[in-house]
Amino acid sequence: MEQMEQIKMGSGRWGWLLQAVSGILLVVLVGLHWVAQHFLAAGGLRTYADVAAYLRQPVIFGLETAFLIVVTTHALLGVRAILLDLGLGPRADHVLRWALALVGAATVGYGLDLTLAVIR
Amino acid sequence: MKRWFDLRRRSAGLWAFRLHRLSGIGLVLYLYLHLAVLNQLRGGPGRWDAFVALARSPLFLALDVILLGGVLIHGLNGLRLTLLGFGRGLRWQKQLFWVALTLSVVLMGWGAVAMFRR
Repeated sequence: MEQMEQIKMGSGRWGWLLQAVSGILLVVLVGLHWVAQHFLAAGGLRTYADVAAYLRQPVIFGLETAFLIVVTTHALLGVRAILLDLGLGPRADHVLRWALALVGAATVGYGLDLTLAVIR
Repeated sequence: MKRWFDLRRRSAGLWAFRLHRLSGIGLVLYLYLHLAVLNQLRGGPGRWDAFVALARSPLFLALDVILLGGVLIHGLNGLRLTLLGFGRGLRWQKQLFWVALTLSVVLMGWGAVAMFRR
């Protein structure tokens, strides 16, 4: 359990809990994304017209947006956990949290902008 | 980070930790690569469909299979870590790791066959 405690203490209890909850959600969302993109799409990948038609469905748009937000959150919390594991101090962590929040917001903004550009 | 690569420490838990960290780093890099590639959609049908034709090649499919393996081991081992973090299954943590690893390999093989058949 040495590694488990290391992960939890390094990320902080709330960071770890958010990482765990987003991870559980991701198992479902990645599964849906993978099946929809690779197993259901004709030929294994969608053409431009198929991508646009797929994203125009409100439920799919909601699921893909949720996927984008959850995967970005989980990924950036993971980056923070690794940096803390490598010995990042509390002051640097404060700066890092803001930096990762900005990167996260930019990532989600980029993804949403791209999605809207396709479905317009 | 040296601890991650210290091969003298060979417990299943430590291997699980290393695999989780390394697959996680790979998946973060892939996430941003994937988002950058999706930018080709801005080029319209001509540009995207040309990319899709390339992405259906065996080389890209093989890379997708490796990605699937990384997603599976990170996801299934992540579920194991979550269980352990909530104090569940502590006595079976090694066995749970082997179950996660075996399931990942089996599902990766099944996924590879399904993707190459399409």
